[in-house]
Formats: sequence, C-alpha cells, structure tokens
Amino acid sequence: MFNARLTVSAAALAMVAAPAAAQELTISVYGIAQDAFDEVLYTPFEEICDCELVVETGNNSERLAKLEANAANPVIDVIAFADSAALEAAEKDLLAPLDMAQLSNVDGIYDFAQDPLGNGMAVGYTFYGTSIVYRSEEVSIETWTDLFSEELAGRVALPNITTTQGPLTLYMIQRAIDAEKAEAGDFSDAIAMVAENRDRIVTFYERSSQIPQLLQQEEILASVVGRFAWPGISSIPLEVEWALPEGGQSGGLNVLAVVAGTEQTELAHQFIDYWLSEEIQTRIAEARVDSPVNTAVEVDEETAEALTYGPEMAESIHFLPPAVQMENRESWLDAWNTEIAR
Amino acid sequence: MTNTRRAGLMLVAPATLFIAIGFLLPVFVLLSGAFRLESGWTLSNFTDFFADPLYREVFFRTFRLGLTVTAVAALLGYATALAINDANPRSKGRLVALLVLPLMISPVARTYAWLVILGRTGFLNVALTSVGLTDEPLRILFTEWAVFIGLLQLFFPLMVLPLISSLENMPRDVIPAARVLGASWLAIFWRIILPLTREGLVVGGTLTFVGSLTAYVTPAILGGSKVLMLETLLYQRVSVANDYASAGVIAVILIAMSVATNVMLKRLATARGGR
Repeated sequence: MFNARLTVSAAALAMVAAPAAAQELTISVYGIAQDAFDEVLYTPFEEICDCELVVETGNNSERLAKLEANAANPVIDVIAFADSAALEAAEKDLLAPLDMAQLSNVDGIYDFAQDPLGNGMAVGYTFYGTSIVYRSEEVSIETWTDLFSEELAGRVALPNITTTQGPLTLYMIQRAIDAEKAEAGDFSDAIAMVAENRDRIVTFYERSSQIPQLLQQEEILASVVGRFAWPGISSIPLEVEWALPEGGQSGGLNVLAVVAGTEQTELAHQFIDYWLSEEIQTRIAEARVDSPVNTAVEVDEETAEALTYGPEMAESIHFLPPAVQMENRESWLDAWNTEIAR
Repeated sequence: MTNTRRAGLMLVAPATLFIAIGFLLPVFVLLSGAFRLESGWTLSNFTDFFADPLYREVFFRTFRLGLTVTAVAALLGYATALAINDANPRSKGRLVALLVLPLMISPVARTYAWLVILGRTGFLNVALTSVGLTDEPLRILFTEWAVFIGLLQLFFPLMVLPLISSLENMPRDVIPAARVLGASWLAIFWRIILPLTREGLVVGGTLTFVGSLTAYVTPAILGGSKVLMLETLLYQRVSVANDYASAGVIAVILIAMSVATNVMLKRLATARGGR
C-alpha cells in the first residue's frame, strides 16, 4: 500500500516538475578544452536552437567502442572523430550520410575537409600539421631522415605507433625514402630505419604533453609533434623551432558526423553547420583550441602562429588517407611490435 | 530462517548487489572475452599470447622486475625496519611518519619527481659527473633501471611497515641471547629474525610483488613504450587495437599471478612456521 502510494506520488511529482520537453542533442567529442568549447560553441548554440546539448567526451577508441556497443539504440547524435576512426565507424554502418543541402557552410571550408571519407559521410572541422620540433641552437633539420643523424643520436623522441602522430611520422620518413611505397601504405623501410636506430631514440612517447618537459630537461633535442602541441613547446625558455623539412609536413583532419539511427537528424545538421560557420570557427581559433577549416576565418599573427593556419600551411600538409590508415593499421602495429617494441 | 539471520541478509544485500552489478559482472564480462571466440569457448587466445615473442618478453620482463623489486625491497626493508625498531619511541614515531609520508602523495607526482632526478641534467647525473664517476650523463630514464627505481620507491613503505609490525611482536631478548651464545649476525637473521617475522615478510612481499605487477603509471612514465610491462601492454591493446580479447588475457594473467603469489607466500610462511 505504502509502495503503491509512493510510486503514484513520484509519478505525479515528475509530471508536475518536468519542464516542457526541450529538444536534446547528444554530442560525443574529445575531452580537451571543454570550458572553451562551452563558452564559444555549446552555450551560443543552445541559445539559438532552444535545445539542450549533452556532451560526452573520450578518445577515439573509447568513443568508437561505445558507439558500436549502442548501435541498436544510439545514444549519441553527433560525433567528432579523427578521420580514420570516422571511416572505421562508417564502414561498420555506425554513421549516417550527411545531407549536404542542410550544411550551408560546407562550401566555405577547404576542399580537403568537404568530403574526406567519400559518400558525404563526414565533414572536416579542424586540421593540424605534424612536423619536427627541434632545438635550433643545437641542431639543424633539413629532411625527415635527419631524425637519425649523428648529432641527434640519443637525443630524439618519436611518437609511439599507438599515437595519432606515430603513423604520420612513419609516413613522412617513408616518403623521404620511397614516396610511392609511402602512398601505398607500405612503411617497411621507415619501420626498418626506426628499428635500426632504436637504441639512439630516447623514447617513443605516448602524449605530446611530455615533449616540452623532455626538451626543457635537455633529455632530447628534437621530436615529432602535432601543431596543437606547439604553443606548449614554443613557450619553454629555449630556442625551439618548427621545422619545414624537405618533403613538407604531415597532418591530421578531425571530422564531424551524424550517428546512424539518430532521431535528431535536423538538429544534428544544424549543429554541424553552426560549428563550420565563419563566426564559430573564428571564435574557436581565437581561443587557440582548434585550427579553422573555414577559409574565411582571419586571425592575428600571434594566434596564427599557435595554430595550423592559412592556405599555404594547408597546402604543405600531406594527409595520410584514412582508408590507407585503416587498411594498414594492424600490419604497422605488428611490424612495429616485432621490429621495434621488443 | 531466524529473524536475526533474515535481518542480517537484508542488511548485506544492498552492498552485495552493488558489488555484483558494479564490479563482479563487468569483470566477468571482460575476463570471459579472454576465453571466447566467435566460434565458442577456447584457450587459443592464451596460446596465441604466449606464442608471440613480444608478449612473452613483456610477460617475463614484468615477472622479473616484480621479483627484483620485491627482493631488493625485502633486503633494504629489513635493514630499515631493524633500525626503526631499535630507535627510541619518540624517534620511531617520527621515522614511521616519514616512511608513510610518500604514501600520502599521488603516485603520479612521485613518479614525475623521478623524471627530474633521473634525467640527463637531473640530480643523479649531476652528482655522478661532478664526482668524476662518469664523463657523460648516463641514460637512466626510459630504461628498465628507471622502472625498477620508481617501483622500488613506490612500494618500499608497504614492505617496511609490516616488517616493523612483525619485529615489534618479536621477543626483545632473543637477539641478545643469541649473541651471548656466540651466533653470528647472519645466523641471527637467518635462524631467528626471518622465521619470527615471516608473516610481515609475506604481507610486505605480496603487496610489493602484486603492486609491481599491476602498476601502470610508473612503468608508463619512467619506462615509456621501450619498456613495455603487462599493464602498459594491456592499455595499448585496448586503446589502440580495440583488442579486448588480448586485454582480457593479460588481465587474467595478472590476476592469476597475484593470486598465485599470495597463495605461494602464505604456504611458504606456514611451512616455515610448522617446523
């Protein structure tokens, strides 16, 4: 009797207390700089759409695993991924094709970001360069194979194969040795070169946040990092430069996609389009969180220095196609583990 | 069923349910993945694991480092525990507080301190080069030495505290009596101290060995990916390869090693005590 009365009372209270059902959009993003995103993107969007954003965070593999586990009853509406993770999700039918007619800002972004996976499965929202950072008063860097020069023996850290930067580093080393093999995803020469120099490499780092400390402690003189790590590295009290080696630099593209089975298709597209707009891309760039893909964005010199900014920079980047990454990831990992990690 | 018994069961039911749903069920799901393929139940994930030279090397490295850290911690731990036990009560309290102090600091912070101490320009290398023991700074970071030092520092207090407790329970006059009868210090340690403090050694040994096997932060920061341990390999398999089967195998191995160590050390203690 008591239980029945309690249940009825709770239900009645819930009915009275529940606000008018506002639309809810659940987004899944990387965990970094969420305060800044909340200020420049999430809150302004909630004001426009009269909806509530629910934000879930994590790395690519965690969020991909969750997406897969909830495939039958998706709990996410929009997801931000690295392009290779997005392709994996698309191939597992976890993403829905975008309706480009609802994305008015797509025409204003770099060509490489407009349809990076093909079939309109995703759009790029930010990109970054990956290159060599080095202590310019101690060493010089001309090519990617200079990472293995005598003057850097025992003084260089490379990204581990398990990081996003790992395959990009192998790609650029392989390009310096044999570009044709590199484009086909055959990194055997690069892996052999790293293996040969294994004992002359201080560490294969997992997080680029380690690099400023390793440089400052004079543990290393050079490393390979994504441009997003540059503000932290350039702020140490030593002369460090971002190399523009022969053969250019590599880089990555992060994309936005709509999750298959979502009931919030229209709102999801509205959110993605808002994120790609000149206004929001400028705000995010000025917060020095992500580099803009919208070509109309203009920022001051200091902000540009902290980002991967401008058409010239964009053109110098050799992106490793996500299909090549997906196809070869396991074999790179196996070869790395066999030849280098032992 | 009596009312008291029923009331007791009702009281433990929420906690039991919480542990079952929040811990046992997810752990079972994760571990069962190690014994499963699409075709059914199997042990092939384990045979595949031990067939891989890299995984074998990581397994033996983890085991070897765990054993070495435990042995050295026991050796230094006895010396420390004996010294603390012999100190006057006031100093003893302070020394134990100093010993416990690192346990109150996050392992991440403690491990990062080693990055500064063991680096090329760190305290250790500066000291070694300034006294002329080496011309060039030694490469210590990102080697097995760095992981060994980090793990030893991390678990040393857990070895010493049970030893102090055991020494306090040992009759105080046995050592002077043995000395009067002409026993050497080695004989006193081997035939008197060791048997009488075996329980402390078992507790400290288990905590140190199991802790060394399952530590993640210290091997990850001080060893990096050049000194892979089972825990860091587990993280790699999950976070990069989405390979939950291998991760499950590693988890099963770690749990099995921990349980086996505990059982083995307990039996060893009982066997010695039975003499």
